[in-house]
Amino acid sequence: MKLSFTRRGLLAGSTAALVTPSILRAQPAEIAIGSLTPNTGGGGPFGPNITASHKRVVDAVNASGGVLDQQIRLFQENSETNPETAVRAADKLINVNQVLGIIGTWSSSVTLGIMPKCQSANVIQMCTSSSADIPVADKKGLVFNFQPLSPIWGRAIANLAKGRGIEKYAMMALNNDFTRSMMDGFIEVVGKDALVQEPFYYNAGQSSYRSEVTQLISQNPEAVFIPSYVADFTAVYKEIFRQGYEGTVITTSLSTGNQFKDAVGAAADGVIHGFPVPAINSPAYKEYLGEAGLEDTGSVQHPFGTAGRDQMSTLLLAIEKAGSTDRAAIAKAVWDVTTGEGKETVYNVADGLAALRAGKEINYSGASGSTEFDEEGMVLGRDFQLSEIKDGKDVVLERLEF
Amino acid sequence: MSAYLISMGTYIGFFMILALALNLQWGITGMVNFGVAGFYALGAYASGLLTTKLGVPVGLAIPAACLVGMLVGGCVALLSMRLREDFLAIVTLGVGEVIRLIVLNEDRITEGPRGLRIEAQPFRDFVSAENYPLFYLFFVAVFVCLTFFVCERIRKSPMGRTLRAIREDDVVAGVLGKNVLRHRIQIFAVGTFFMGLAGALYAHYTQNISPEVFLPMVAMFIWMSVIVGGAGNNRGILIGAGAVMVFLEGTRFIGDFVDILDAEKMSALRIIMIGLLLIVTLRIRPRGLLPETKFQFKPN
Amino acid sequence: MSLQLLVNALVNAALIAPPAMAFSLLFGILRFPNFAIGAYITVGAFAAYSLNVSLGLPLVVASGGAMIITAVVVWLTHVVVFRPMQDQSPVTLLVVSIAAAFIIENVIRLFYSADVRGFNIPLERPWKFMDARITREQVEIIIFSGLIAVGLHFLLAHTRIGRAMRAVADNPMLAAIRGVNATWITAFTTALCGLLFGLTGVFAGLDLVIEPLVGWNLTIPIFAAAILGGIGSPYGAMVGAILVGLAEEATFLIIPSTYKVGVGFAIIAVLLLVRPQGLFGTLEIKK
Repeated sequence: MKLSFTRRGLLAGSTAALVTPSILRAQPAEIAIGSLTPNTGGGGPFGPNITASHKRVVDAVNASGGVLDQQIRLFQENSETNPETAVRAADKLINVNQVLGIIGTWSSSVTLGIMPKCQSANVIQMCTSSSADIPVADKKGLVFNFQPLSPIWGRAIANLAKGRGIEKYAMMALNNDFTRSMMDGFIEVVGKDALVQEPFYYNAGQSSYRSEVTQLISQNPEAVFIPSYVADFTAVYKEIFRQGYEGTVITTSLSTGNQFKDAVGAAADGVIHGFPVPAINSPAYKEYLGEAGLEDTGSVQHPFGTAGRDQMSTLLLAIEKAGSTDRAAIAKAVWDVTTGEGKETVYNVADGLAALRAGKEINYSGASGSTEFDEEGMVLGRDFQLSEIKDGKDVVLERLEF
Repeated sequence: MSAYLISMGTYIGFFMILALALNLQWGITGMVNFGVAGFYALGAYASGLLTTKLGVPVGLAIPAACLVGMLVGGCVALLSMRLREDFLAIVTLGVGEVIRLIVLNEDRITEGPRGLRIEAQPFRDFVSAENYPLFYLFFVAVFVCLTFFVCERIRKSPMGRTLRAIREDDVVAGVLGKNVLRHRIQIFAVGTFFMGLAGALYAHYTQNISPEVFLPMVAMFIWMSVIVGGAGNNRGILIGAGAVMVFLEGTRFIGDFVDILDAEKMSALRIIMIGLLLIVTLRIRPRGLLPETKFQFKPN
Repeated sequence: MSLQLLVNALVNAALIAPPAMAFSLLFGILRFPNFAIGAYITVGAFAAYSLNVSLGLPLVVASGGAMIITAVVVWLTHVVVFRPMQDQSPVTLLVVSIAAAFIIENVIRLFYSADVRGFNIPLERPWKFMDARITREQVEIIIFSGLIAVGLHFLLAHTRIGRAMRAVADNPMLAAIRGVNATWITAFTTALCGLLFGLTGVFAGLDLVIEPLVGWNLTIPIFAAAILGGIGSPYGAMVGAILVGLAEEATFLIIPSTYKVGVGFAIIAVLLLVRPQGLFGTLEIKK
């Protein structure tokens, strides 16, 4: 008796779930693609740009007839930058919407968290994540990372900073994988002897950052390096300013976007920040600014929105190239349309589709960079740019070309 | 679609075990535990680390995770000796957060923010890949039944009467010669035993866990399951856990039809609706969907 | 411990003391730990932001407006959500307060998004004395916080309404028999606490950044301060705030800073075990 009741309880649960309509599956003549972006939580400041980019590319392609004569149906979900939520959202995208790819994941824990599900369902993943575990966990060659791994960021920024003659550093990093391994990369280049004290971590969402900042500047170092995101960096920087530190503050451009500059005002001047950037005068980046309705300010805008455009463009071109919706074939075709010499370079999906249909080989060069992939699906070296905030604007100091 | 229902059923199973365990602690015994997410994490990491780092077979790692949950829970229960229930709420919330901080910061052992990848899955070699999700649903369902069975037995036993007496008035229960502290520690430990179980089952299901999975938000959903379902009533709890998960995930589908709201606004709206679910349920049915039935003495 | 750490602790304390006092007062009247206080603080921060940045009002005026708006929100939440549920157990109400916090925070997110914001006033460099540094803004926060403590003490100890508030907190039934209008007293208390939460929102916006979780991040230190000082004792909350501030600063000297969040909890746990009524509270007689 008792057991039957339990089963009924279970049944009640699953029938309730059954009520969710089954017509949500993409119609046969449609290609379903999932977008899983961090619209709230840690990635909140960046996710909406990625979402918008995905939608813009899809809308443009659909308006001109779609891919393989099929319309693209985009299903957008919010990962909340939380793997617990994201894995269920991925479940819905994979099993209900039957998407062939999930693109736009940002935090490594989300990308890795949904990977077992994606791998077993043969779903392509495109992300901007940092963890070195990603290529290891991807056993089927279905994952493409549109962002250099974070130790590379750390090394590049360190090289640029060293080039400016800075010798003594103190550093603290936000306590997550991305920022922690960025700090490790930085230390690799400047060397342990360049540190005036042990580097340490802080958590996001603290009620104050006073003691951390006091500790950070206690030896009055020449420069401080703080790998971080915009929400915590803004609070940390306010405290650095209020505690009267006058050395150089170095961070990533992720932390110093318009939100930071608006929130901090004139005090933002002098902050130095580095970021992987599109090649100089990249036509794709200029096009992106137009599509997103932005002015060309010379500084990096929408760091992940550009990657969002490239993810969706690459995926659609690969589908066209593969000539079918077979996932393994599409994944292989991603290399065909992005990587390799002697092909026609295209900067947007429309030109790419036209060239493919004309029987040409193409190499898509994106708004976030040249988007060439190594055999593990990780994006290859990208230019880095170091900028300084002057009068509330980013001024390019130097560039590191790969 | 059926694949989706299978995995939702599995998630509902995790929620049901957690909610039944919390009901044992709070619904029946009146012991507040806001550290649900912490004990969930404890079970997940215990089993995950045992299998990945020490190569312990899953069949041993899952029971071990339950025992770890039980031991830590027993220690935390000692706090109830001196704490009022609302203060115990804050202290247990703290315990949950500290467990998460340890997992986050002791990355030499736990992999910290990188997250822990777990290959091992129970009975993996005996079930084909395409049938495995369905198998796992039944695997979890068996444990839900087991948990339900144990909880019902405790509720109906003479011990259950003592526990309810402690819930209503621990002083009276003490005066009647019941060892209040021992009962509390026992029942809290049994509850965290099952929370550890749920964590272990979750870890081997998703095969990838990180500290961000176990934020206090999870504890909140389990509390809502218990309150919405009807504290004290195990069947109500099953309904409550199902209702919260269906609401949580069902609201996702609105986004597929409504184009006006972007993903960010949509998720804000979903959380608002979850909050309203609790408040509206309590306004209409103050004791939950299936309230606890008052016990009457029925001689055989 | 350097002088700077003491200054840091004092500023932390000044920031969490007013809401800790307000939390204490609310608890006295409503008898459950209200987790929605974080959301109330966030309301204050965003209200002040809108008045200051969007409408261009000076921050002082905007702060006054934000306090009033927050007071209205706190009172409305009480009338709409908590009052109809007053027969529920304190723990159920606690869970309901978290749900209320979710709703308020996400309504804010719906209109303002999760972007990081700041008030329209320039950051200032600090004054230096010995090896410590403090800004004018921080001194103002400390002074305001002190004035609020004195004002609250005066209100509770020397005014008719303050005595009525204490009477309702001590024994609502007895207070009702003696002709105290509990409904009015509750409305007054919630609104008064709302003013304090609103002001805290402004302070938090100045000190940290304005985003939907700004209040939530302050919740645990506030609880710690209120419990440490002894629920229902505004002076206790003040002292509790200073101790929590000191403890958080001292964390650095003992354990890795990433455990800082756990310190608030550890203080609560240890103190409650040793002295359940808090430092300045009186032991409640259990019904």
